[in-house]
Amino acid sequence: MEGRIIVITSGKGGVGKTTATASIGTALAMEGRRVAVVDMDIGLRNLDVMMGLENRIVFNIVDAVHGRCQLRQAAIRDRRIKNLFLIPASQSDNKNVLTPEDMIRFCKKLRSAFDFVLMDCPAGIEQGFENTVAGADDAIVICTPEVASVRDADRVIGLLYARSITPRLVINRIIPDMVENGDMLSHDDVLDVLSIDLIGLVQMDDRVIVATNTGTPLILQKDSAAGEAFQRIAKRLNGQYDLPIIVPIPSKSIWKTIGTRFGIRK
Amino acid sequence: MINGIFRKLMKSGGKSGSKNVAKQRLKFALIYDRLEVSDDTLNNLNRDVIEVISRYFEIDKEAFKLDIQRYDDVSALVVNTPIIATKHKNKLNL
Repeated sequence: MEGRIIVITSGKGGVGKTTATASIGTALAMEGRRVAVVDMDIGLRNLDVMMGLENRIVFNIVDAVHGRCQLRQAAIRDRRIKNLFLIPASQSDNKNVLTPEDMIRFCKKLRSAFDFVLMDCPAGIEQGFENTVAGADDAIVICTPEVASVRDADRVIGLLYARSITPRLVINRIIPDMVENGDMLSHDDVLDVLSIDLIGLVQMDDRVIVATNTGTPLILQKDSAAGEAFQRIAKRLNGQYDLPIIVPIPSKSIWKTIGTRFGIRK
Repeated sequence: MINGIFRKLMKSGGKSGSKNVAKQRLKFALIYDRLEVSDDTLNNLNRDVIEVISRYFEIDKEAFKLDIQRYDDVSALVVNTPIIATKHKNKLNL
């Protein structure tokens, strides 16, 4: 069976594309699928450190696309998680070394080698974006509940529709207490202005920073709310379409509630 | 009176939240973004509209004007052209 190529994109930088790619990829591999996560940010690679595989890079995607190595040589196998592979970006080239035609050809190879290929798109809508979406089947758009991020997501959603890709949305870094206090856009507010289906809601989680510090997958962190949310997104991608989307709820500690009311805590 | 103060404190969270401002600003930003037309699109449209009108009317191509005007939350395409003469039916090249 042919694999699916899914682009993870956002337009705006710093909203959690790389974390989402690493986490969803890890979770899909733990579901028993053969997964490759691909870093498309040529010249500014990050996915490798996020996954703790930075010391094992020999070849990269540019080598594989230009035929300087085999696909399986560029795909680094994760030793902790079965069936998970990373294809790193090149750090020395710039985005113009690849073309959309190159990528369409390369994506054919990827489809025959993996069940799922997650592509971590660079921020922006220039050449790097064009290259990443060229051979893609699906897209996940990530945004945070902020004006700038939602606005950029709207632009990217439009560009994806123009390429006949119907994206689905992940709202990341939700702070439930702030949503409840009316100081953060709720997921309904965001969906109100964007014409797109939701695939997951992820709350703000300190564990993400711990996971990136140590290069261990967020999914393997204990009690990570964000990790669990990404796991559920992976399950939905893997065919459990009716798995309900859980809305993050505020912490109900009585002292915190009282503190917030009287303006002592925010 | 104490009751009143208490009620005020309870309310202060929900109503004055900044998210309503955010949503309003976002809505307007998106309306403007979606209305934006690139110069290329405008030039192509200009050329095509002249071509179509010229099939039916003789027009002054120099004075032809095509413009997009924006109001609060709607935009209008305004075409303004002087007509020199109507083309006769048998001359129409359809």
